[in-house]
Amino acid sequence: MGNGATPVLLLVAGVLVLVAVMAGAGLSNTLIAIVVGGLVIWGGYKFYATQIDRKVIQSDANRRTPANLYMDGVDFVPTNRNVLFGYHFKGVAAAGPVVGTITAALLWGWVPALLWLALGVIFIGWASDYSAIVVSVRNEGNSMSATAHRLISPRTRQLLLLFIFFYLLLVVAAFTNITTGVVVNPTVPLGIIALAVMGVLAGQMLYRWRQDLIVTTGITFGITLLAVLLGADANGPVANFFKSFNAGLDSITGGQAVVTTLDPTRPAGQQEVRIMPHFIFWLAGVFLFSYLGSALPIWRFAQPTTYLGFWLTASAMIVGFLGAAIAGALLLVGNPAFATLAAFKLAPFTGYMAPVAAGIQPLWPMLFVTIACGAISGWHALFGSVGTARQIDNERDMLPVGGGAMFAEFALALLSLLAVTAATQQGAGAARFAAGVGGFFSVFGIPAAYGTAIASAVFVVIVICTTQLIFRVMRVTVSEGIGDAMPAFRNVHVSTLFCMLLTFLLVITGTFIYLFQLFGASNQLMAALSLLIVAVWLASTGRNPAFAAIPFLFMYVTTIAASLVTAYNLWDTILSKNPAPIAIFGSGLMIVIALLLVVAALVIGLDGLRAYQRYRQRPGEAVPSPAGT
Amino acid sequence: MAASAFASRARRWLKSAREFLYGMAGHEFERHAVELRAELDDLFVLITVGDLVGVPIMPPYYSLRLMPYMLPRLDAWKRRVLRERHLLDTPDYDLHQI
Repeated sequence: MGNGATPVLLLVAGVLVLVAVMAGAGLSNTLIAIVVGGLVIWGGYKFYATQIDRKVIQSDANRRTPANLYMDGVDFVPTNRNVLFGYHFKGVAAAGPVVGTITAALLWGWVPALLWLALGVIFIGWASDYSAIVVSVRNEGNSMSATAHRLISPRTRQLLLLFIFFYLLLVVAAFTNITTGVVVNPTVPLGIIALAVMGVLAGQMLYRWRQDLIVTTGITFGITLLAVLLGADANGPVANFFKSFNAGLDSITGGQAVVTTLDPTRPAGQQEVRIMPHFIFWLAGVFLFSYLGSALPIWRFAQPTTYLGFWLTASAMIVGFLGAAIAGALLLVGNPAFATLAAFKLAPFTGYMAPVAAGIQPLWPMLFVTIACGAISGWHALFGSVGTARQIDNERDMLPVGGGAMFAEFALALLSLLAVTAATQQGAGAARFAAGVGGFFSVFGIPAAYGTAIASAVFVVIVICTTQLIFRVMRVTVSEGIGDAMPAFRNVHVSTLFCMLLTFLLVITGTFIYLFQLFGASNQLMAALSLLIVAVWLASTGRNPAFAAIPFLFMYVTTIAASLVTAYNLWDTILSKNPAPIAIFGSGLMIVIALLLVVAALVIGLDGLRAYQRYRQRPGEAVPSPAGT
Repeated sequence: MAASAFASRARRWLKSAREFLYGMAGHEFERHAVELRAELDDLFVLITVGDLVGVPIMPPYYSLRLMPYMLPRLDAWKRRVLRERHLLDTPDYDLHQI
């Protein structure tokens, strides 16, 4: 990396010193963590990302971008930098950084989680998002798969599709599982039902009745928020109604479980997971929500519900961040009023091997796949190379849009870490996150119970809106992938139901933590493969590929190892214990998926290495002259 | 002088914040509306001047009558319609939010 090594070492040292001071000097406080996060973003952007943009990529304000060259008014449209930053940020930031950060902090403690988030986003995350946009902009707006097809080999594109399908299956199963687990809480369903109804209304008002966006937002968002607050009181009439409703459903089987599966990561004696009728009912509800999002036109359901969810999430995040900062500041100046809200209660470090009841959870490689988005995500590269790159007006916008959005997503992951670390409530991740955010709300005088209910709704909204979109993308992938061989799958409803059936089987037979880690591994493998494509492109153009090649190697080795560890965990903790057939199915399927992903990654890696060596010897195009501004 | 510089900077920040918010909240509606319109538009252009891309549907008399109105957008239309597309290029992949 030449002269680039100095800022890299300084940034690594800076992050390590800051986190060590936080953990060792009794400064583990929400405000300090926010300041550290701010320094990470500033330092990483100014001293590393900007240098790569100027010296390696040589972004040139005078070079015409595909948005200008091929402007068609639809896909290729030059767009304002700030607008595109917001668009890209909203496109990449959703459930991943929230769920992953919570899960990892509970497993290994907040110090490893914070370190990986900070170092990951500085050296890998922004580089992945940004360079995917760069490669697309410099290759006529082609997607990553088209570039891989041209630079590496034709089969890379097919393998990427295989990757994407299994990635989607894993993430949708993990998200459906965790969403249903929160929706069964009687304070949550009313808000989600309101979201669905108001989503339909918003779509109708905007696209059919042609109402103003602000008026539509005011009415539909206001009613959704009101419904969330109406259901917030755990002893109120709404919650009591849903409690009775759930109890009534459970009485159908006389209080017996419909299915019993195994979660070996739970404490001894609690490893049996009893799936009750009310869980199945709300699981069907989540599927119905997702079905509407998948099968109806985008404008009718998926887009407006996601839009309303965005306002709910954004409002909660802003209030939560401000509450965390104020509580931390008051604690620092000696005001004990918010001491319980601002101080970290989670262990800084639980040990290299996370304390789980069964299986192994070594920090390397498992931390690096448990926190995927927030530090780095492969899906961002696919999104950036298609949706965002074709709207880049000026090459100098590539860094603030691609890199900036990734740094902003790091901030979202940081808030999740603060919420789960500062929460007074013990327990599972989602409940703890909600309690933490609810606590931050109380800084502004909002009762913690209401804050917690809003945060629970926000959590479900983030995840369920993502889930419906994944089902949509998944059924498109199935239609394209096997539709020619089996025409029935070209039908929207058949392909959607097929995807839901697979997901249902995984949800009721799989184990959340393994599902989530396998999703993380496939996501990070996709990031590694996107970095590989970037490294090959850099080599083909005679540039120094180190900023993409080194992160590629790290993520590639780490994620293949993580897939194998997960497969081992599934074998060791479930399959080798002679479990019930239903647990054998889920675990066996997950092992097969893990091994398939590893084989696909090895083939793509080998093809990529060959292409890299080929281009290193004979760069395919001349290095452009330095930026002319 | 300092006050006016501060006011100017504050205005710029406010404008950037407004644009960022629009990017998060409204830009995808704009894009989707444009995509919906483009679908109809593509169909209209195809049935009127489809012979330009090898689909002779409309008798040339009507195509020629419409030509002055169609001419300004034919280049963009041909680029869009004839561009090679891959599954990952579909708008569904544009709305993932993971």
